[in-house]
Amino acid sequence: MSTDELIRMLARRAGPAPRALAARRLAAAVCGGGLLALAASLGLVGPVNGALFVEPAMAFKLAYGLALAAAAAVWVARLGRPGAPARAPQRASAAVALAVLASGALSLLAVPSGERLEALFGHSWLQCPLLVLTLALPTLAGGLWALRGLAPTQPRRAGFAAGVLAGAVGAFAYGFACDELAPSFVAAWYTAGIALTAALGAWLGPRCLRW
Amino acid sequence: MSLDDAPDDFESGLKPLWARAQAGDETAYAQALQRIAVRLRGYLRRRMQSLPDDVEDLVQETLLALHLQRGTHDVDLPVSRWVLAIARHKLVDLWRRRGRQDVLHDPWDELDDRDMPLAADAGTARRDLFKLLESLPEAQRTAIVLTKIDGLSVAEASARTGASVSAIKVQVHRGLKRLAKMARSET
Repeated sequence: MSTDELIRMLARRAGPAPRALAARRLAAAVCGGGLLALAASLGLVGPVNGALFVEPAMAFKLAYGLALAAAAAVWVARLGRPGAPARAPQRASAAVALAVLASGALSLLAVPSGERLEALFGHSWLQCPLLVLTLALPTLAGGLWALRGLAPTQPRRAGFAAGVLAGAVGAFAYGFACDELAPSFVAAWYTAGIALTAALGAWLGPRCLRW
Repeated sequence: MSLDDAPDDFESGLKPLWARAQAGDETAYAQALQRIAVRLRGYLRRRMQSLPDDVEDLVQETLLALHLQRGTHDVDLPVSRWVLAIARHKLVDLWRRRGRQDVLHDPWDELDDRDMPLAADAGTARRDLFKLLESLPEAQRTAIVLTKIDGLSVAEASARTGASVSAIKVQVHRGLKRLAKMARSET
């Protein structure tokens, strides 16, 4: 087939291009993955006592997940579109994580030194990152599926960003089931769970995003 | 390598055509792809000095990828930037498959495309996409041949085969995707 023939074939009956493809696929992935994660968090781990929701730490947790998910969603969408500038959402995602880490560290300084270990490790430091990772898996699968329908030219980075997005969704969902109230705990272990998910995404990216 | 090194007249000539093409104008789409093919040939030819016989194959592979991925182009993005990002991806992928890592340090990158002889003449592709088309699954091949080669409308193809309109569209897309995959594994 000559290139001219190929062009004629591609153009014939091509119809209009799909619109807002990245947004549609990612929205489906995040909604589906987020609902599954919420159901698993509330159903399997169990919701926290409703009285805890007056604590600022609860808002801190949920806001962390939401803000990071919002920034990372834009980041993933940009990485799925060849030539689209991805630096700004990448910086925004990093800024959210750094702000949380910094406020966690500051809150730890305000705690009397005898109680610092308790404020950092709480009673569930080991299960927290693993549960965030587990709750993130549906969104990670969805995010990679969304990217497979797009055109990521940097598969590892795109996988990493999809992992950050999924980790943020997992952290948000876990926030409803986690009764730890120290900002330092949230900063350390929620971030660890998100980082684990991001590492998994970066590992999977080159393996399933080739095109 | 800068993605912005496309001569501006390429972008300005392509942009209006591309907008009409994305909205569904077939003639504009064919014209846009023609312009893109010329640009791709020049871009790839100067980066594939050691593999001149593979240039046209990669031009075709890139055109196929552009078509399959055209939903990833939004109006906010210069078309040339999007096109060249995909071409570069295809080129790096080819080098990677051939086991060459030094493409990113290609000295030719420092030359502007305008310094190179114009590459409007189509070389010949070594790989024949018609042959690959033959080896597609029956339903995909039929859908592609009826709509994209014989030029039937999707509704006509649907009446001819008994498959639903959306099934025809899906088969065409899947078939072209598979064709791109086969083309990629052949080079």
